[in-house]
Amino acid sequence: MTCPRLEYRRAANGREFETARAYCTVADRFVQPLRADICTDRYALDHADHCEIYRRHVAEE
Amino acid sequence: MTYREYLANEPVIVTAALTGGVHGKEANPNLPETPAEIGAAAADAVAAGAAVVHVHAREDSGERSLSTERFQAIDDAIRDRVDDVIIQHSTGATGVPEARRHHPLRTDPPPEMASLDMGPLNRYQHLTSENTRGLIDSLHAEMVDRNIKPELEVFNDGHLAEVHALLDRRDLADPVYATLIFGGGTVTRARPRNLMNAISNLPEDAIFNTLGFGRHQLPFATLGLLLGGQVRVGLEDNVYYAAGELATSSAQLVDRVTTLAKTLGRPVATPATARDILGL
Repeated sequence: MTCPRLEYRRAANGREFETARAYCTVADRFVQPLRADICTDRYALDHADHCEIYRRHVAEE
Repeated sequence: MTYREYLANEPVIVTAALTGGVHGKEANPNLPETPAEIGAAAADAVAAGAAVVHVHAREDSGERSLSTERFQAIDDAIRDRVDDVIIQHSTGATGVPEARRHHPLRTDPPPEMASLDMGPLNRYQHLTSENTRGLIDSLHAEMVDRNIKPELEVFNDGHLAEVHALLDRRDLADPVYATLIFGGGTVTRARPRNLMNAISNLPEDAIFNTLGFGRHQLPFATLGLLLGGQVRVGLEDNVYYAAGELATSSAQLVDRVTTLAKTLGRPVATPATARDILGL
């Protein structure tokens, strides 16, 4: 299951891209492609284990 | 390789690292991600003097791809636009099953070169890119089978020790070619003394390539030129041309370092000359 705070957007924060890109609604920014693999739980990556943004967000909720 | 090679006006091989596997257009909108964009960027970089292009594959969303098909599309786009260049595929990745790390080696034709990350790296707060000895050996074995020259990526002194250990385990074709990398994180700290130490600890007769991340790209390329090494520049490693000024392209960064090389009296190697130097 991908991170519940991941969205794909073409535009945000005054920036626009041809193809929708991974966007973190906790950090309010487009994420690096390396991090996007974590957001999408790709391969052996898992947002609940490997993403400090998500882990801090959960701890604060 | 030493200051002697600089004084002898030995040619310098410039590698253009066009895309990378970490950041994307969110860091610099000029960073190429699609095969067409990478092909065009490669053409511009070669026109500016690059003899080698270091290639990572991406999906259209900018996210990383290791698929043979995606690397094939990139290579085809490069070859459509460039008469001659050495293509170097990255095999680097994080959290990816080891079998998939081999996929970039399987294009037709195979790349002339491919990267071989020599050890682990910490990423973000809770992640490590693992590059085990078993994986290094497995990738190297396939590179040998496909006649692909490895570019040994040395992120720190521990990785330099792993280069020597690899030579104890396996036969590497001469010359050994190692990229010495400087920056932050798990990477050797970017100090000139550390570059000179790393050079002195290379295997005998090895050729080194110099890579500085971010604001260290230009100074470490300059040091590499003066110490007789090769240099790597490009948007993969540095998205800025100057403080606060995004680079327009990897070609802009290549042009700056080739101009510097010529000013310092080192000719810029063509792809043909680079093949002679690297034993391709």
